[in-house]
Amino acid sequence: MSKEKLTSDREQFVVDVKGVSKAFTARRVLDRIDIEVGRGECVFICGINGAGKSTLLYTIAGLLGADSGSVKLCGYSVAHDPEKAKAHLGVISHKSMVYPDLTVIENLSFFTTLYGVKNAKARIDELLSDVKLTRYKYDKAGILSRGLLQRLAIARALVHKPSVLLADEPFTGLDKKSCDDLRNTLSDFVEQGGTVMMTTHDTRMGLACASRVIILDGSKLILDRPTEEIDADSFDADYISYGRGVV
Amino acid sequence: MRYFLLSFKAIFMKDIVTEFRSRQVLPTMIVLGMLIIWVFRIASEVASAEVSAIGPIALWVAFLFAGLLAQERSFATEEHQDCIHGLMLAPIDEGTIYLAKLLVNIIMLSIFEMIIVPAAIVAFELTLSRSILTLVGVLMLGNVGLSSVGTLFSAIVQLTRTKGSLLSVMVLAILMPMMIPATFALLAVFGDIPAELIGTGALSVVGSFKSAIMFMVVFDAVFVVACWLLFGFAIKE
Repeated sequence: MSKEKLTSDREQFVVDVKGVSKAFTARRVLDRIDIEVGRGECVFICGINGAGKSTLLYTIAGLLGADSGSVKLCGYSVAHDPEKAKAHLGVISHKSMVYPDLTVIENLSFFTTLYGVKNAKARIDELLSDVKLTRYKYDKAGILSRGLLQRLAIARALVHKPSVLLADEPFTGLDKKSCDDLRNTLSDFVEQGGTVMMTTHDTRMGLACASRVIILDGSKLILDRPTEEIDADSFDADYISYGRGVV
Repeated sequence: MRYFLLSFKAIFMKDIVTEFRSRQVLPTMIVLGMLIIWVFRIASEVASAEVSAIGPIALWVAFLFAGLLAQERSFATEEHQDCIHGLMLAPIDEGTIYLAKLLVNIIMLSIFEMIIVPAAIVAFELTLSRSILTLVGVLMLGNVGLSSVGTLFSAIVQLTRTKGSLLSVMVLAILMPMMIPATFALLAVFGDIPAELIGTGALSVVGSFKSAIMFMVVFDAVFVVACWLLFGFAIKE
């Protein structure tokens, strides 16, 4: 592939999933999934428990290897060029991935080092201000409330200014105020050209955040539509039937 | 190289700070070690063997089990809040994580030995027949061997969710070959080994203090490199 074509692809699709299949022992969780996501898109992935939402995100992140198919992040193969691919990726989930015995600032400082962030102190101050954690910066992560911990998790995921943010059930356990804060943070990230792929069981919240909806059912992708083409009420009532009906 | 060193230092310091703040491993290791020394000291009163010959054996038993505690903990902290995923998502070579964790485990075991070895010397009335540097060398070789295998298997066990029992079974089985020269070397540091012990049984395969040291060096080199190379495969899925 020519260098010009490669650059063009990197600009076109930030996340490029081609024919990805994944099985755990005899159970197939993902079956030849194809997804292409461009810069500035927010994709809401929904499906019932066990539909493969988290498996898809973990495969995109490189935490799980695909049995077949390929995943590229910003043009870099997750399987063959993982360090370059990971440099463009941030991940949040309902678990914070931060160390409870370290303070907020120590956690962020640790991750800035791992990601080789330049001007780390300025970046940490900026993030603390963005997620409104400045007054808690010397508190241990272990004593933070669920909402504050999720804000720290977001700061951790954004510490290296990633192009892609994967969010696996990020609203789980958050109160309404924290959910709104998180939604605003995701919107700001997308407005600045970032790409978000997220899963949530809160379909209203998912539709409100996203510009595109994907439904996984029985290991297959059964719907992939822009949010504006979705009838929110029908979708919210039973999105699996909605997905099957539309397809 | 600079990035490797920065990542290595960050993971190492994070683990050291986490351990000294939580104080979960070292106190447990010390209590376990003291208990083992005490039990062996009581047993030595009724055994026909020389008390000074039981001491080094008690020490290796203490190092093995206390080492397992430290190694198990080294990845248990990463499991909390899925921190291991946070590490694996960073654009660093997985080997860096292994080497940093290995160094932490070696240091934890060294601190433990600084407390337990003097206690054993007093309890078993041990006297050094070689220099203290030789003793430190033998202990360090043992530390590296125990920690290299234990660190890798701790990661495997934590991720396969089989937890503690599997760690003990796998690590102890792999360490068995090193325990023979390690025991020989420590017995030699704390006194002459009776000729009948050298001539027969497991210790006869070692032959001399020098060959015991050589075996431990080779074991350490092979397992540090092998575990470092295998670590990336071990922690995925």
